[in-house]
Amino acid sequence: MTASSLLDAYLLDHEPKWHPTGDETALFSAAYDVRLPVMLKGPTGCGKTRFVEHMAWRLQRPLVTVSCHEDMTASDLVGRYLLGPEGTHWQDGPLTLAVRYGGICYLDEIVEARQDTTVIIHALTDDRRILPLEKKGELVRAHPDFQLVISYNPGYQSVLKDLKESTKQRFCALDFDYPAAQVEAGIVAAEAAIPQTSAETLVRIAEKSRNLRGQGLNEGASTRMLIHAGRLMAGGLSVSAACKLAMITPMTDDPEIRAALTAAVDACA
Amino acid sequence: MPAPETGAMAARATGPAGADARIAKAHARLAGAGYGVSVPRAYGQAAPIVADALGTEQALALADAASRIAIRTRPRIAAQFLDLSVPMARRLAGPEPFGRWIALLVGVSKPAPDAVEPLLERMEMLHERLGLVALDAWVQSGLRLAAGDATRRRAYFTLDLAEAVRLLERHAGEDTFQSLEGELRATYRALWGHVPPIREALAQAKGHAALRASFGAGVIQLPSSYSGFRGRERLVYQAALAHIGAHMAYGGKRFEPGQLKPLQIAVVSLIEDARVETLALREMPGLKRLWLPFHDVSPDGMATTPSLFGRLARALIDPDFPLRHGWVRKGVEMFRAGQGQIDTPALSRHIGNILGNDLGQTRVQFNARDYVVQPVYRDDNLGLWELPPDPHQGQQHHHIDIATHDLRRSEETDRPQERKTERSERDTDIPPETVAPMPVASGVGRIVGQVPEYDHLAGIERPDWVTIKEYDPGPGDPLFWRKLEDRHGALLARIRALVRAAALGRHRRLKRQAEGERLDLDAAIEASIALRAQRTPDHRVYEGVSIPDRSIAVHLLLDISQSTGDPVGGGPNGAGDVTVLNMLRDATALLAHAMDRLGDPLAITAFASDGREDLRVVPVKRFEDALTPLTGMALSGLRAGYSTRIGAAIRHAGAALGQVACHRRLVLVVTDGAPSDIDVSDPAYLVMDARRAVQLLNAQGIDVFCIALGQTAGQRQGEIFSKRGFVQIDRLDALPEKLPALYLKMTR
Repeated sequence: MTASSLLDAYLLDHEPKWHPTGDETALFSAAYDVRLPVMLKGPTGCGKTRFVEHMAWRLQRPLVTVSCHEDMTASDLVGRYLLGPEGTHWQDGPLTLAVRYGGICYLDEIVEARQDTTVIIHALTDDRRILPLEKKGELVRAHPDFQLVISYNPGYQSVLKDLKESTKQRFCALDFDYPAAQVEAGIVAAEAAIPQTSAETLVRIAEKSRNLRGQGLNEGASTRMLIHAGRLMAGGLSVSAACKLAMITPMTDDPEIRAALTAAVDACA
Repeated sequence: MPAPETGAMAARATGPAGADARIAKAHARLAGAGYGVSVPRAYGQAAPIVADALGTEQALALADAASRIAIRTRPRIAAQFLDLSVPMARRLAGPEPFGRWIALLVGVSKPAPDAVEPLLERMEMLHERLGLVALDAWVQSGLRLAAGDATRRRAYFTLDLAEAVRLLERHAGEDTFQSLEGELRATYRALWGHVPPIREALAQAKGHAALRASFGAGVIQLPSSYSGFRGRERLVYQAALAHIGAHMAYGGKRFEPGQLKPLQIAVVSLIEDARVETLALREMPGLKRLWLPFHDVSPDGMATTPSLFGRLARALIDPDFPLRHGWVRKGVEMFRAGQGQIDTPALSRHIGNILGNDLGQTRVQFNARDYVVQPVYRDDNLGLWELPPDPHQGQQHHHIDIATHDLRRSEETDRPQERKTERSERDTDIPPETVAPMPVASGVGRIVGQVPEYDHLAGIERPDWVTIKEYDPGPGDPLFWRKLEDRHGALLARIRALVRAAALGRHRRLKRQAEGERLDLDAAIEASIALRAQRTPDHRVYEGVSIPDRSIAVHLLLDISQSTGDPVGGGPNGAGDVTVLNMLRDATALLAHAMDRLGDPLAITAFASDGREDLRVVPVKRFEDALTPLTGMALSGLRAGYSTRIGAAIRHAGAALGQVACHRRLVLVVTDGAPSDIDVSDPAYLVMDARRAVQLLNAQGIDVFCIALGQTAGQRQGEIFSKRGFVQIDRLDALPEKLPALYLKMTR
């Protein structure tokens, strides 16, 4: 297997749509030009992952995405020895793959990973750009095209789930949030293929739900949820049925908050 | 076949005649019993009707019941009962429910003869609202609430006691402010982004409940219930809050009344209501579906002021409403013409002035004193006007501090995060004088909540039965920790070592795992050998590290009832002035110390009770508090006194624990005796309630464990906590040592 074919599978073959809300594409490109690592901050479902995909497609780089979770160990990122018929052999992890062959490695929801796991990226994200494979006794120098991108949802704000200061300070950061109402309605209308007026109603409902952020809801309805609801509406569901199915029921189990959200949907519909 | 058939035929043939004879006999018995003329006469009228509707047996049972009621109360009341039995027979429609209804009344007549008359007087209304089962529960609650106090009992059954009305609403399953409060608050926040304090409006001076919502001074007040909207209470409350939200979002400065007459003030308010609703509907068109059904006035009829007001209000929100009255039409036309300035409250004032003037000249009657804003969801408009202080409207602003004082959950669980992070914001958007909590002197309890209690005889859970009041601990000893160190130095060192051991064993190397960080060399070599020998290797060749897995939160409940003030051991060993409470205090401090080192969340609450109105809890340490010298002061400030209502305390502790996100949650009760309280004579009652409280918490995944102190304890504890749910510690002087050790063992 040749080196390039390993990463070819990670190349995007069609354009992931991105609706610019500011100069974020220009900023990201600037960071990529000098290969600075980038951190994307923002609430769930506001388009962080979509943005990285879009940029990878624009820059024509393979994108290796790792969804972090709390059981993830450093080996899951860098690789491990496996036992084969002829003894042990080394298997590169997704991060090592991107470092070796020059891809964009995207660590989604980095705070979910344990802190001892995240420190392995430190040597990669300063001017050294190296990845020591401790167990293998190898030092991988990053490919010139390699870039590291992480995403981070500041909404969690739990002491346990925060980035170390030393990790934070290695990154450039782009702030993401739900777009302004008009823009968001445009996105929902385009993605879900529904009329602009229906999309505006959905966005109004989302604003109401975002009022409850931290007051019974951890997060308000995300743009992603609105698109889901919109697609259900495009399929023939009423606003209230679509919102119940795609937003209210997934978001909360608290009967009071559900009642409040239902009232908000009724008020806006 | 012939024999049974003839038998049945015979019964049918002789049935009515035989039944008549039996009823006549019962009638004669009543007539001869010396109850006067009214009882047999009432029976003579009622019995045939009841017999026709429900059968002879019920008519005969009626005579028995009437006789008992006549003996226990008065013949007059028995006659009243018989008169009532006719409509009730129609209502209950069935011999079995009718029998239960009779049994209910006869049952009441024995312990509480004075309750029968008020009960009969309101029976139809009560049955209408409650149905038979809930009626029984409500009556039983009343008997228990009065606890033998005849005046109180009478007040309950005449519905003069506020508690009676509240329980009536609860048993009727109607939605009230209390039951909807949390939901309404969340809805308001969702719709308008922020939420001002929402309070239950207090009854007016005459004792009448407030009829309409109200706002002003940044506080929303809602009536405790909207009567007459059974089944639609939630909608009324939602509509009322949405309307007030529109006022707050789109209203301007308060109007100056100036020279306006009351009629004009009312019309200006009405137009302003319509104006803010129009603006709100632009953003949230669905609110129309909420508001419109309450506009039920008809376009025709007598042109009285209330009717005209109702029509104008409806016409302004409902474009399809026919405009048959000139004044209403003029109002609508002016409102439409003013759409350009709809953003300014001045429009309302302008239109209202003219319309009010017009109406004044037609000389229709307008009685400002009795005027109630229509439709029901709208507020009383007092918040719109800069009115001079009026002593008769004192309820609107001046008593609010009392409401916040006892409005439990709203202050307690109401957004703890916000209270920490947005304290300054809250302080600025609420005028401090209106919501400042009453300063609570030490020794006076703050009401922090109400919990239900289970009545094992009636088999029902009485909602909001026990009132929980929070007390500050008495003055304590700032040097408590240092003295503890002196008293138990060796023990503390031992506990630290124990804790270290407990904490050290946590990171374990996990060999032979299917997944892991690195290869487990031994396993890998064995697998390689197996491979070369052409055998199937074990695939578990990795090695990992266990994740530290300590997630337990404990709520320690200390019984500080009167008996804990007794000296330990009774004296022969010369323990002297060392009381049970002293021991409890030291043991608790040592446990808290151990848990703090382990990093396990801990709350400590001491409790005692003084009747169901006063479950006294002293929060020594809450989950969010750190272990500080203050904790020691609070512990040393505990004083023994009062009784032990253990079930309510367990429910209270469980509620606090329910908020803590931990894998295991434990309520640890330390008590020195069986549950008891001054208002309960049945020893099984509190035991069964506590048992139920334990079961309910278990169902929520919260464990309850009891440490019973002393030799006499433990008899009842087995019943409450189950055999495995408690330990008995006979030697009290060993408690300080045992409690932390026990905890470490339990949570290993």
